[in-house]
Amino acid sequence: MKDVRRARLILAILVLASITLIVLDLRGGTGGPLQPLRSATAAVFGPLERGITAVFSPVGRLVDSVSQLGDQQERIDALEAENEQLRVAVDTAGVDIARVAELDALLGLAADTAIDIVPAQVIAVGPAQGFAWTVAIDAGSIDGIEVGMSVINGGGLLGRTVSVGPDTSTVLLLVDATSTVGGRLAGSSQIGIVSGTGRQDLLTMQLLDPLAAIDVGDVVVTFGSQGGRPFVPGIPIGRVESVSGTPGQLTRVANLAPYADASQLNLVGVVVSQQRTESRGVIPAPAPADE
Amino acid sequence: MAIRRAVLIGSLVVLAVLVEVSLLAPLPWWAATPPLALVVVAAVSFVFGSVTGAVTGFATGLILDLAPPAVGTVGASALILTLIGYGLGRVFDSDERPWPITTALTALAGGVAVVAAAALGGLLGDSRVRWEEVPSMTVAAAVYAGVLALVVVPLVRWVSRRVVPEAFPR
Repeated sequence: MKDVRRARLILAILVLASITLIVLDLRGGTGGPLQPLRSATAAVFGPLERGITAVFSPVGRLVDSVSQLGDQQERIDALEAENEQLRVAVDTAGVDIARVAELDALLGLAADTAIDIVPAQVIAVGPAQGFAWTVAIDAGSIDGIEVGMSVINGGGLLGRTVSVGPDTSTVLLLVDATSTVGGRLAGSSQIGIVSGTGRQDLLTMQLLDPLAAIDVGDVVVTFGSQGGRPFVPGIPIGRVESVSGTPGQLTRVANLAPYADASQLNLVGVVVSQQRTESRGVIPAPAPADE
Repeated sequence: MAIRRAVLIGSLVVLAVLVEVSLLAPLPWWAATPPLALVVVAAVSFVFGSVTGAVTGFATGLILDLAPPAVGTVGASALILTLIGYGLGRVFDSDERPWPITTALTALAGGVAVVAAAALGGLLGDSRVRWEEVPSMTVAAAVYAGVLALVVVPLVRWVSRRVVPEAFPR
């Protein structure tokens, strides 16, 4: 009887402690009273996660390749089809590239969009039951990482850093339901807000101009934030898969397929700075042609 | 004895969380991530009873809430796992029960934890909760928890008997 009473008392204390923590965390937000606790845990668990990933990553890769055996043929077919299209694109791209390069050089943009990247490996992933799409990476403040930096991988924009420990950081992925980023249609320069949906294969883009022309297959890139934080401009986000709402309707929403695959993450890059070595040059008026 | 028991349970919990977020979560599982940390809490509750179960659940939940890459509300997992550790320890105060019961109870706890996390998230205004995914996630988490329990529960019992034999008077 006494044991049961003691057990209930302990249970009550622990439940109260949990609820206190929940309230503190909800009221404090980021930088609240629990921030030191989070930092301390990150400092201890970061290196441990790093170590366990380093030891076991070959096993994970093996499991990955075995589990994907089934769709290899499908992938080969899809890649061959894509290859065909890309070859056509490459053949016609030369002219465009030359033009773009000229324009870039003129505006000094080439220097502007050069970015410095710190490479990092994904060392932990938030369990699916938490509904949050976050990963931990093995680069932190000692590598120059700060809160609110763009994280990219080979495919495109992946997310941004939301908390940074001494040698690990937490990245909020674009597909997380609380993530938003300014996007621009690469073709028409229409801008909109790209939000995550909580599904790894879907982003939605709300266009600011209800009359904007938007087509399936259009590419969306980042609009960029002030000072390149958290998002540097011009990084590919995804491709338009479908558009809902007719032109003129108040909200036109495009569904995007993200370029960066949130389920297959290994190496990522954190954009630590955007080099801007010289001030933007003036384009002189063309000299009148001599006769 | 108390210290040795705390060290044993502490190492089990830390290891379970690390394996869950660094090794299990990155792999492409169907619908949910195998809840290894929860299964270890269940196993400890089965072996040591409800008080140790509740304390272990609280500590495990706190680590899950705080260790990178967690961004959810601190205290949510701690609350759920405290209750699970206490409940399983109560249902189960003697440690030699047949494996079908431990497996079924752990699976049940795995499912309940998903629903509880979603409900708590909804209550606290977490915009991330996607209810259409909860049913499949619950089933998947329950199955994964049951399968893990088949291995983890006997393993934890065996290790505990080795490390703290005093806790198991014959």
